[in-house]
Amino acid sequence: MIYDIRHVTTYEYESAVSFARCTLRLEPRSGGGQELISHNVEIRPRPAERNVRRDFFGTLTESVVIEAAHRTLRIDSRSRVSVSRQTPPRDAASLSWEGIRDLAFEATSLGPSSPVGYVFASPLVPVLRPVSAYAEASFAPETGILAGAVNLMHRIRTEFRYDPKATAISTPLDEVFDKRHGVCQDFAHVMIAGLRGLGLPAAYVSGYLRTIPLPGRPRLQGADATHAWVSLWCGAELGWVDLDPTNDLLVANDHIVLGVGRDFSDVSPVDGIIVGSPKQKLGVAVDVLLVE
Amino acid sequence: MGERAAEENDQAGRASGQSRVAQWVRDYSRLPGIPDEFLGPDGAPRAVWSRFLDAFGALAPDEIERRFAMADRHLREAGVTYRAPGDAADRTWPLSHLPLLIDEADWRQLTAGIKQRAELLELVLRDIYGEGRLVAEGALPAAAIAGSAEYLRPVCGVPPPGGRYLSIYAADVGRGPDGRWWVLGDRTQAPSGAGYALENRLVLSRAFSDLYKSMKVPRVAPFFEAFRDSLRATADRDEPRIGVLSPGSFSETYFEHATLARYLGFLLVEGDDLAVSDNRVHIRTVAGLKRLDVLLRRVDSNSLDPLELDASSRLGVPGLIDVLRKDGVVVANMPGSGVLEARALLGFLPALSRRLLGEELKMPHIATWWCGQRSARDEVLSRLDEVAIGGAYRRGVPGFDSNGPVLASELDASGRRRLVDSINGRGMDYVGQEVVRLSTMPVWEQGQLTPRPFVLRVFAAATADGWTIMPGGFCRIAERADARAVSMGDGARAADVWVVSDKQVQAATLLPATDKVRIRRIAGVLPSRAADNLFWLGRYLERAEATLRLVRALSSPSGPNKGTSATMQSIERIQRMLVSWGAISQASRAAPGRIAAEALQGAERPGSALSLVRASQRTATSLRERLSPDAWQVITEMAERLAYEVEDDDSVLSAAELTLQELASFAGLAQENMNRAAGWRFLDIGRRAERAINTTRFARQFAYDEACDEDLDILLTLVDSQITYRSRYLLAPILAPVRDLAVLDGYNPRSVAFQVTMLNEHIAALPSLKEHGLIERPQRLAVAVQAMLATAEAEKLEVKTLFALEQDLLSLAEAIGLHYFPHGPNASRPEKLTGLA
Repeated sequence: MIYDIRHVTTYEYESAVSFARCTLRLEPRSGGGQELISHNVEIRPRPAERNVRRDFFGTLTESVVIEAAHRTLRIDSRSRVSVSRQTPPRDAASLSWEGIRDLAFEATSLGPSSPVGYVFASPLVPVLRPVSAYAEASFAPETGILAGAVNLMHRIRTEFRYDPKATAISTPLDEVFDKRHGVCQDFAHVMIAGLRGLGLPAAYVSGYLRTIPLPGRPRLQGADATHAWVSLWCGAELGWVDLDPTNDLLVANDHIVLGVGRDFSDVSPVDGIIVGSPKQKLGVAVDVLLVE
Repeated sequence: MGERAAEENDQAGRASGQSRVAQWVRDYSRLPGIPDEFLGPDGAPRAVWSRFLDAFGALAPDEIERRFAMADRHLREAGVTYRAPGDAADRTWPLSHLPLLIDEADWRQLTAGIKQRAELLELVLRDIYGEGRLVAEGALPAAAIAGSAEYLRPVCGVPPPGGRYLSIYAADVGRGPDGRWWVLGDRTQAPSGAGYALENRLVLSRAFSDLYKSMKVPRVAPFFEAFRDSLRATADRDEPRIGVLSPGSFSETYFEHATLARYLGFLLVEGDDLAVSDNRVHIRTVAGLKRLDVLLRRVDSNSLDPLELDASSRLGVPGLIDVLRKDGVVVANMPGSGVLEARALLGFLPALSRRLLGEELKMPHIATWWCGQRSARDEVLSRLDEVAIGGAYRRGVPGFDSNGPVLASELDASGRRRLVDSINGRGMDYVGQEVVRLSTMPVWEQGQLTPRPFVLRVFAAATADGWTIMPGGFCRIAERADARAVSMGDGARAADVWVVSDKQVQAATLLPATDKVRIRRIAGVLPSRAADNLFWLGRYLERAEATLRLVRALSSPSGPNKGTSATMQSIERIQRMLVSWGAISQASRAAPGRIAAEALQGAERPGSALSLVRASQRTATSLRERLSPDAWQVITEMAERLAYEVEDDDSVLSAAELTLQELASFAGLAQENMNRAAGWRFLDIGRRAERAINTTRFARQFAYDEACDEDLDILLTLVDSQITYRSRYLLAPILAPVRDLAVLDGYNPRSVAFQVTMLNEHIAALPSLKEHGLIERPQRLAVAVQAMLATAEAEKLEVKTLFALEQDLLSLAEAIGLHYFPHGPNASRPEKLTGLA
C-alpha cells in the first residue's frame, strides 16, 4: 500500500518569539516492510540553519534554528510511503518469555536494534512494582512471548479508558496507571513498563495511522494525530513485533513508522526551545491518505 | 627569661607533651578487629603519627584549643559552606582538626593504583563510545552499560573534543582489613571534593603552620596548576576562556564551584549564561557574546542539553551536544563518562586491565557481585545476610527508599521478601557487595583521640605527561563508629590529608618548583548575570542604608525638639516614606520607637533593613568567587546583628548605627580592594543609582516649598550633610541652600548630582554595544539627567521637578538593566515548546 501523509504542526504564541531551536524527527523510516518514497518539510518562518543527521536510533533528525521574530511557527511535513508488512497471527507460536528475557540480556551489542537497550527503565518509563505485577498476570511460566504480550495488550485495551483530555505530555506513568486512562502514548508507556518490569525488551514506536479505515472496519483511535505503539523483541526468528495497545491489534499495513526509541523522549516528532513567549498554543493535524 | 631558663621550660614542655601523647595512646580505644591508621597491630603509634604527635603534644592544651578555634573561625569567616539535600540554608563546613596522615611509601603505592585505574577507565570509555569491541567480543556485557542512565546515546561515536573523556577522575578508597587500600567506588562524571580539599588544606596549614612546615607536607597547589594547564591545553587557541559550569547557588556544593573558579582563574557560569551559535558555545557578557573554549562541568550529563537529553532540565545549554559533535567546545569530563560509575562494571575491571593494559590491577576493589549474572545472583542470594545490596547503576537501590546500600539483616520479613523478589525479578538492577570494615583514624574529642572510620577521595588529573595525583585528598569521617557508608549529608566531618615521610629529612624532590606566573591585569570578561548580581548587590545595600538612616532619624534622641507639632509632622513624613517602600506596615500608629524597630528588623517587611541585608546576602551568595572574604564577612555580620531581636529604643539606635558603620566599611572594602574592572563598576553603578533615587525622594519629602526647620534638619541628617551645611552657612537650615546641597551640589559626595556624574563616568567606561553608531539608551538618559542637574537652580526646584527627576532616575536604572543584563529578570529565558506534537 502507498500512503500520502501530511503532518502539520503549528505553534501560536501570545507574544513575539525572537529565537527558536528545534529538533524534528518527521521522516518516516525505511525498513521492516516500509519504504520511504519521498519526504519534504516546509518551515515558516524560514530557518537560518538546517542540519540533518541520523540519531542513535537511526531516525533522521533535523536541527533547525529560527532567528526571525515570529508569532506563529508552522512545520508542514509531507511524506509518501509504501507499506507491506509480514505480520504474524495473534496466536503464532513463539519462544517462552523467560527464554526471551535471558536471550535479550545476553545480547552482545549496544546498537539501536539490540534488545538489551530496551530492558531497562528510560527517562519516561520507570520500572514500577505495581505495573510489573499487572503485566505478570499475562505471563504464566513458560507462556509464549507473543501470547503473553497479546494478552497484556488486550487487557490494557479493555481495562484502560481512552481519553484525550485526561493526560498531558507530563503526566507521569504511575498516575496514568493508577487512574487507568490516557492516550496512545500513555498506553504504550504502560505496556512497555510492564514488559520491562519482567525483563523483556520493549521499544516505543511513534508514527501514523491511516485516516479512513478499510471498508467495513471501524475507524481506529488516534487516526487524526500522531500515534504511538509498542515494539517487542520476540527472538531471532520473529524479531521485533509491533503491538498497538490503543487498538488491541498487531501492527500490519495500517501503521506508518516514524521512529523507534526507548520512549517518547527519544522520538518526539517536534521538540525545541524558544526565547520569548511562555504562553503557547499547539495544533497538530495529520492526514494519512491511501494512494493505491 | 634567660637562655637556660628557656631551655628548661622547653624541656619541661616536651616532657609534659610526651606524657600527654602517652596518655592519648592509652586512652585510644581501638575498635576490635579493625585496622587503625594511628596505632599499629602492636598497639604502638605508627611512625608518621609519632612524628606528628610529638610536635602536636608539645603544644600546651590551651594552645591546641586556640589553634582549633582559629581554624573554625577561618572556616566561618571564609564562609566555607555546603548544603545537604533539603537544606534551605548553607551549613558551615565541619572540619575535623586533625589531618589524616599517610606514609609516603604507602601513598606511592596508592597513587600507582589510582593512575593505572584512571588510564584503564579512559580506555574503556573510548571503546564503549567508539568501536565497541569490548562488548562485541564479550569482554564486557552490553547490559552492564545499557542499564546506566549515564550511557548517553547522543554522544555515541562522537570523539571527545580535546582528545580525552576523563580530565579529572576520583576514587573513593578505604583501607581494608588486610591493610591494603581498596577502591570503594569510581567518580568519573564530575567528581566533587577537590575544592573542599583545597579549603581544608588552607585552613589547617594556617592553624598549624609550624607543624605543616616542619613535616614538609607536599603542597596541593601544583596539582591544581597542572590541572588548569592541562585544561587550557585542550583548547584550540592560546588564551582560552574556561568556565566552571555550576547548577547554581542552590546546589549543595556551590561553594566549591566558586572556590575552584576563583582558584583556577576560570569563570563561574550557569546554563543561562551560555548560548550556542555558529557551532560554538558563547558566554553572555556585558560586552556581548564571547566564545567559551572549555567547560569544567559540575552539572550531570543528562542535564546538559534539554534538546537532546533531559528535556525538563534548566541547568544546561540547548544545543551543547551538537556543538560537541562539531568539535566546537571541550567539556570536561566528556558527557557520558559517568557510565563507568556503575557498580555492575566493577567485577569486569580486572580482566579489562589485563586486556587493555596488559597488566594486573594494582589496587583491589570491594568485592562485588552483579546480580544480572546467574552465578553471581545465586551467590548473593545464598549469602544475603553477609552482603550489602546496592543499585547496579545508580546510588539508590531500585524499589527501596534508601540512598545508600540496603542490608537484608536490617529488613523485616516483608522487606526481605521484597528484596529477594526484586533480585530474582530484575537481578540486573542490583549488586551485592562485601560489607567492608574500613580502618579508623583518630579525631579530637574533648581533649582525647577517638577512632572513627573514614573514606578518602583521591583525585587524579590528566596531563600531557600522564595522570597526576593530588598529594592529599578529601577525607570524610563517619560520625558513628561502625558506619559503612559515609556521606556528607549524614553530618560527617571532613579532614585534611597529609602525605608524610617517616624519615625526618625530606627529599627535596617533593618541594614544589618555583611557579612561573604570567602577568595579567584584567580578570577577563564579566558575565551578564554576575554584572546583574553586582548591580543589585549595590542597590540592596544602598537601600538598606536609606532605611537605616530613616530609622536613625526616628529613634534619635538628639533629633528635633520632641513633642512639638512640627516634629510630629516630620515624624509622620518619615513614616510615610517607610510605608511607601515597604519597611513598615500600612496603618501603623504606634510609637516612633516601635516603628523604628519594625523598619529595622521586620522579617516580613520587604523594605526593612533586615530583609534588604538578607537580599544582599542572597545576591552575594551567587557572587562568591568575586567577593573578598572580608566583604562577605561584613554582610554576614550585618545579617546576624539585624536578626538579633532588639528590646528598647536605645538598642534600635545602636543596631542602626553599627550596621551603618558596617555598610560604610563594605563600601570602603569595595572602593579599596576591588579591581577597577567592569565588576566594580556595576557594583558602584547599583549603589549610585539607588542613592540618587533615594536622595531625590528625601529631598521631595523634606525640602518642599513650605518645609519647616525640622524637615530641613532631618534632610541634612538623612543625606549626611549637617557638617558641610554648618561649615558653609552658619545658619539654621534654609530651603534653597539645603536643596542645593542635597540635590545640585556637585562637590557634595552625597548629592544627587554627584551620583549622576559618577554614573556617567561608569557608563562611559563600560564596553559599548553600539547599534548603528547611535548613542546607547543608558548613556542618553544619564547625560540628559546630568545636564538638567547642572543647569537647575535651587530656588526653582519644585516638588514637581523633583518628582520628574526621580522618574528619570528610575528609567535610567531600568535602562541599565535592559542594556547590560539581557537575560536578567526583565528579559526572557528559553522556554520549552509544549504539548504532544
